[in-house]
Amino acid sequence: MTETCFRMKGTTLTSIVLEVIDFEVDKFEAQLTQKIASAPQFFTRSSLILQLLKPLSATEFELLVAMCKRLHLQPMAVKGEVAELKPIINDLGLADVSQSKFTDSALKSQRSEANTNSTPTENEKSNVVQTTETSPQSNAVQPTPSAPVSALKPAKVVSRPVRSGQQIYAQGCDLVVTASVSEGAEVLADGNIHVYGTLRGRALAGVKGNNNARVFCQSLDAELVSIAGQFIMHESVKGDCWKKPAQIYLEEETLRIAPLS
Amino acid sequence: MAKIIVVTSGKGGVGKTTSSAALSTGLALAGNKTVVIDFDVGLRNLDLIMGCERRVVYDFVNVINKEATLKQALIKDKRTDNLFILPASQTRDKDALTIEGVQAVLDELKKDFDFIICDSPAGIEQGAQMALYFADEAIVVTNPEVSSVRDSDRILGILQSKSLRAEKGESVKEHLLLTRYNPTRVESAEMLSVADVEEILAIPLLGVIPESEAVLKASNQGQPVILDSEANAGQAYADAVKRLLGEEVPHRFLEAEKKGFFKRLLGGK
Repeated sequence: MTETCFRMKGTTLTSIVLEVIDFEVDKFEAQLTQKIASAPQFFTRSSLILQLLKPLSATEFELLVAMCKRLHLQPMAVKGEVAELKPIINDLGLADVSQSKFTDSALKSQRSEANTNSTPTENEKSNVVQTTETSPQSNAVQPTPSAPVSALKPAKVVSRPVRSGQQIYAQGCDLVVTASVSEGAEVLADGNIHVYGTLRGRALAGVKGNNNARVFCQSLDAELVSIAGQFIMHESVKGDCWKKPAQIYLEEETLRIAPLS
Repeated sequence: MAKIIVVTSGKGGVGKTTSSAALSTGLALAGNKTVVIDFDVGLRNLDLIMGCERRVVYDFVNVINKEATLKQALIKDKRTDNLFILPASQTRDKDALTIEGVQAVLDELKKDFDFIICDSPAGIEQGAQMALYFADEAIVVTNPEVSSVRDSDRILGILQSKSLRAEKGESVKEHLLLTRYNPTRVESAEMLSVADVEEILAIPLLGVIPESEAVLKASNQGQPVILDSEANAGQAYADAVKRLLGEEVPHRFLEAEKKGFFKRLLGGK
């Protein structure tokens, strides 16, 4: 009997997309170096997807990959205008992900954006696929959400008050309550929780471990608020935002309460 | 078409039975054929408040078990025309109520009556759930204090999830009846205000019944307090009945009365 030597598994990972709008070697390298210098820790050895918005020659492509490696980036895949480059992509050991589900729609939206871009000096931008708040690109272009449209599950909307003793769980999506959540009631969501009323009960967002989930409410009077398992109780909720519009989110493992508006 | 209205609260002792008696009497006085059913099987209080305890022969459970006909069990009120009482059994418990049994009784009553008032027991168990299951509307009786408000909130959740209407995707019309309201104590922040309770429960206000000695007196005499037109509480119930019938009546007795020297000397709250 032979023992299993490996297992095949699917995974999703967050990576940086480097959109190549125009490739003039010197200018490109100068701007890319500058960008990396703005957050060296973030960029060093981060895996990269090269997205070609216009076709490059085989030589140009080789130069681009070499430049990335020199700057301690790790190109792992290519998408976009790659039809002419298949052999060299193979030679360089990269993957062609042009056929991935999200490429087309993402490409379309980014192309139109590139065309209408009013700041043409930015011919390079890094784009975190799953938009994260931790992105260090303070002066860079706002990351465009390029997550696949098909993966968006509509939010669960509740328009009646959530009463004491009731429990509502929005599985795999956001929860929107357009009324109050009573004391003794519990609202849970895998995504964010919005309460357009007073939150008096318990609200647990990101219950499957999504650290980016947040709780928003029009008036904060909660018994308990939890994000991805980290929670605070009534006593700690009391503060500057007490009975005011507020949001609660995770910042480096600590729950933060911030006023809205 | 008969309307089934449940008078409920979750918490005990807030005035469900007093309110059931007063409101059903008021509805009957307004010319509606009304029956009030005591769902508090095992305790049986409604007949006392209605002053018909000595006339109980058969009860609600007897009718459900087909040991008596509805006609035999219904007690006609002596003071008010159009008003009938279906008393609870004192020798049984709440498990005697079954969905099928209650439904059969209600279906029969619907043929003859305009209003069917279901006086719910306290709690959120079988008895209370039976009382509210077939309701078209609910009057949630609440005292201006936190535990009563919390329990009312709980019962509102049950109304919108475990009633027949909720199961059919419809909603039960909700009314808030605030009882034992004492404006003086509200002013001194010993009691929740009407606004506080309305804010938490977020349902339309049917009426505010002031705390009154007339209520206890009426209960002990077996006479619904609504018949005491001198008392604040009686007038407040009469207003609530008008609102229930669709009339717009301003709310009264929300402010503390400025008592004169003599009135203070002579007492009376």
